[in-house]
Amino acid sequence: MMATKAGGTGRFTQDEKRRDSDHVSFLKHRGFRWLWVALALCGTAILGYLMIDQQPRPNGGSWYGYTLGTIGFGLIVWLSLLGVRKRRITTGQWSLKAWTSAHVYLGLSLIVIGTLHTGFQIGWNVHTLAYVLMLLVIITGIYGVIAYATLPASLSANRKEMTRAQMIEALTAIDRQLESAAQPLERTEADLVINALGQDVFSGGALARLTGRYPGCATACALGGMGRQSEAEQRVVALLEKRREQLAQIRQQLRIRALLEIWLFIHIPLTIALIAALVAHVISVFFYW
Amino acid sequence: MAFLIRTIDFTAAGREIIRDRVVEQAGLTIGRAAENDIHLPDLAVEQRHVRIDTRPDGTLAVSAVGTLGFGLDGRTVTEGTIEPRTGGEIALGAARLAVARESDGTISVTIRQVVADEGKGDVLRGFSLASKLPSKRSVSWIFAGAIMLLLLMVPVASHLLRTPVKNDPKGETPGQVVMDAAWSTGDLSLRHHSLEDNCESCHVAAFESVQDETCISCHEGTGDHARAGRLAAGMPSLSTGDALQWRIAQSLGKEGPLGCVSCHTEHEGEVRQQPASEAFCSDCHSDLDTRLTDTRLADAHDFGKAHPQFRPAYYASFGAAKPVRAAPGSTPVEKSGLKFPHDVHMDAKGGAARMAVSLPDYGSPLECKDCHSLTPDKISFTEVKMEDACESCHSLVSGRTAAGGFSKLRHGDVKDLAEDLARIGSGPRATPASNRTRPGQFARGGAYAADFGRPVRSFIDLSNALAPGGICTECHLPATRDGRRDLMAVNLPDRFLTTGFFSHEAHKKEECTDCHAADTSKAATDLLIPDLKSCRDCHLGASAVKTKKIVPSSCAMCHAYHVPAGQWSPEAAKDDPHYRPLPVAGETKVAAKLSRAKP
Repeated sequence: MMATKAGGTGRFTQDEKRRDSDHVSFLKHRGFRWLWVALALCGTAILGYLMIDQQPRPNGGSWYGYTLGTIGFGLIVWLSLLGVRKRRITTGQWSLKAWTSAHVYLGLSLIVIGTLHTGFQIGWNVHTLAYVLMLLVIITGIYGVIAYATLPASLSANRKEMTRAQMIEALTAIDRQLESAAQPLERTEADLVINALGQDVFSGGALARLTGRYPGCATACALGGMGRQSEAEQRVVALLEKRREQLAQIRQQLRIRALLEIWLFIHIPLTIALIAALVAHVISVFFYW
Repeated sequence: MAFLIRTIDFTAAGREIIRDRVVEQAGLTIGRAAENDIHLPDLAVEQRHVRIDTRPDGTLAVSAVGTLGFGLDGRTVTEGTIEPRTGGEIALGAARLAVARESDGTISVTIRQVVADEGKGDVLRGFSLASKLPSKRSVSWIFAGAIMLLLLMVPVASHLLRTPVKNDPKGETPGQVVMDAAWSTGDLSLRHHSLEDNCESCHVAAFESVQDETCISCHEGTGDHARAGRLAAGMPSLSTGDALQWRIAQSLGKEGPLGCVSCHTEHEGEVRQQPASEAFCSDCHSDLDTRLTDTRLADAHDFGKAHPQFRPAYYASFGAAKPVRAAPGSTPVEKSGLKFPHDVHMDAKGGAARMAVSLPDYGSPLECKDCHSLTPDKISFTEVKMEDACESCHSLVSGRTAAGGFSKLRHGDVKDLAEDLARIGSGPRATPASNRTRPGQFARGGAYAADFGRPVRSFIDLSNALAPGGICTECHLPATRDGRRDLMAVNLPDRFLTTGFFSHEAHKKEECTDCHAADTSKAATDLLIPDLKSCRDCHLGASAVKTKKIVPSSCAMCHAYHVPAGQWSPEAAKDDPHYRPLPVAGETKVAAKLSRAKP
C-alpha cells in the first residue's frame, strides 16, 4: 500500500492498465463500451417503435420501417466485414478486439432492430427467409461466444501437456509395438489387429466428432474379439487398451475442437446466404413496389 | 538380467541387416558416446542420455541422465516405467528402441531408425473439423447462389420476359411470373384473393409502385371523395418522417398520399379489408374548416361528441325542381304537395283503422309496412304507389265493365283522369231486366240509339273533382295551370339523408315510431326524419364503451369514402360495382316524370 502511494502510482497503474487491456476479454473491452452502445441502439429503436404512429400499421414499409431496415442492412454488411478486417493486421483505435467486441454486441442488437423492422409480420417468403437467416446467424454467433469462453479450458485440460503431434506419435509408438507383439497370434486375431492398425485415427464423420461416439471403432472391436489365454494375447490386449486410451484422448481433443469450430461452419455460410437473401429482399420489395 | 540388443539397419539397396548381441547386466546406458551399452550416432542424442535399470518387481525404470528428456510411448518425459510384459518404446532422435520381454525371460531392445515424417503437417490438419465438413466457401456459394437464382433472378427474368395481358376483373387469369409468390409479404384480402398467383396484375412494371390506373382498370366507377385539389388542401400536414418518405417516393414515381394504395394497403392477410378507422376520417374532418375555409361541411370527429346535425334533403316549396338540404338546426317544412296526416292513418281506434280491419287484405289496423316497403339494400324505401298503398280505401272505381268487373280511373295524370271521367258519362246503360228492347232505329246499335246516363253522373265531372272539396283534393292540393284546374305536383325525394346511409335492416328490432314520429304527425308538412340526438341514444363515437345499449360507432358505419351514400357489402359483391351510386339530384321519381311532361 505504501509502495503504491510512494511515487510508483503512475507507473504501476499505467502498467496495470496496459496489462489489463492486453488480457481483458473482447466481451469486457473498454468497460463494455459496445454493450452500452448496442443497448442504447435497441432502447432507441424500441422507444421509437412505441412512440411513432405508423399508419396503417407498423411494418417495413413505413418511414420508420425503412429507417430500421437501412440501419439493419448497414449493420449486417459491416458485421460481415469482420472476416475482411481480421485478415488485415493493424494497430490503433480500431483494434481487432474493439472490432470483435462491437461485432458481438451490435450483432446482438440486430435481434431488436430486425424484429421491429418486420413489424411482427412473418410469412413464407424471401423477407422472412432473410429474417430467419439473420436470427440463425446470431444464434450460432451466441453459441460461438459461449464456446470460445468455456471450451478452451477443457481443451487445455485434455491435452495433458501433449501437443497434437505427440498424441499422434504416441499412437504410432503403440502401433509399432502392437505389430511386433501380435506376431504369435492366429489368423482371426491377427486380422483384428490389422483392422485396428489400419483404421485412420481421424476416421468417423463430423457427427462422430461432435458426439464422441465411434461405433465403428476397430480398436474397440479388436479388444472385444481378442482372447486372453496366451501371454501373447494378454500382451496384445494390454497394448490395445493403451491404444484405446490414446485414441480416447485424441478423440476428446477432436470433439472439443469440433464443438469450438462447428458454429463457424454455419455462421459463415449463413451470413453469405443472408447477404444474398437481403439483396433479394431489397430488390424484390422495390421491384414489386 | 540379460538384455538382447537387436539393431536393425538397411543397406543402400534397402536390404535389412539384423545384428543381435546379448548383454548380461542389471541396466543399460544409452547415448551418443561410444562407452554406452547402446551407442546411437545421432547429434540429437546426448552423450549419456538415458539409462534403463531393472527394478525388483521386474519392471524397468527408464530415466534421463541429463536434463534433456526422451520419448516414451510418444510422450516426452525425463523418467518413466516400462512394464516388460506389455513393452514400451523409447524415442531418441531418429532411433526407436522397442523394449519387450522375450519368451525366455530376456529383455529385448530392438533399435530401428525412422524416417522423419514429412507429412506430419498434413496429419495435424486432421484435427481440424474442416477435414470432415465441406468448406465454408463452397457452402456459402451454394446457398447464396441458390437464393439469388431462385428468389431473385428467376422472378425478375420471367417478369421482364412475359407478354403483358389486359387485366381481367374476375381475377381468373393465371400469372406468368415464376417464383414470385416468395416475394409476397402476406396473403391478399378476401376480395383480391383470386389474384394471389397473378402478382403482375397489380405490379405491372418493374420498380414502379402500384398505380391508380391499374386499380381503376377493374374498379370502374369508383367515385372520388372530392376533387383532388380539394383533398390535398384539406389534408393535415404530414409528419416530418412521412413527408420525407413521400417526397422520396414521389420523386421515384409513387403516387402521392391520395393514391389508392396509400389507404388500401394489401398483403395484410386473407381477411376482409377493414373499414377505415375513425381517425382516418377525423384526421381531415375534425378541423377541415381551418384548411378549407370555404367548405360548407361542418367539422366532425366523433359521432357522440362532434357531429353536425343531420341535414335531410326535402322539397321546400311546392313544385320545386330540386330538393334542398335543411339548414343546420332548422325545422324543415316539407312541401311535397300531398295532404297526408300520418296520425289519422295510424290511430288504432280511428276510422282508417276500422276500415282496414274490415278489409280482407289488411284485417288489422294500418301499420307502416302496409304502405312503406324497403328497397333491396335495406336502406331506402320504395316509392309509395297510390294504387297499391291507398286505393283499398281511397277507391278509384268508376263503374262496371261489360265483362262484369270494375272500371277504374287512372291515377297520376290529370289528362288521363279527364278522359276516364268523360267516358263515365257515355258508358253503356245497364241492360233492363226484361227482354224488351227499344224498337227500330232506337234499339242498341241503331242510328238513334243514345246512352242516357243517370243524372248523378253529370256531377262527377273533372271540374268538380279537381275543385277544392272535390274527390282529388282529399289528398292533393288544388292548383291552376293555364287558367284551368289542376293539381299540385307531388315531390318527394328518394333519399332524405344523401351523404350517409342508414340500414333499416340493422334496426329491425326497433319500432318505426321509436324514431319517426308518425303516430303524432298531423300534417304531411312534418319531415319525419329523426334528429342527431335520437341516434345518440344508442350510437356514440368509436371510442365509446360498448354496453348493452351503447353501440360504439365509427364514421364508416354510416359513411363511405368514395360514394358517401353507398356502402360496400359482400352480399352486393354479386352485382358489382361495389358501390351504389348516389342518385343524381333532381331525378326523383314523381317530380321528374311531371317535370318532363311539362312542355
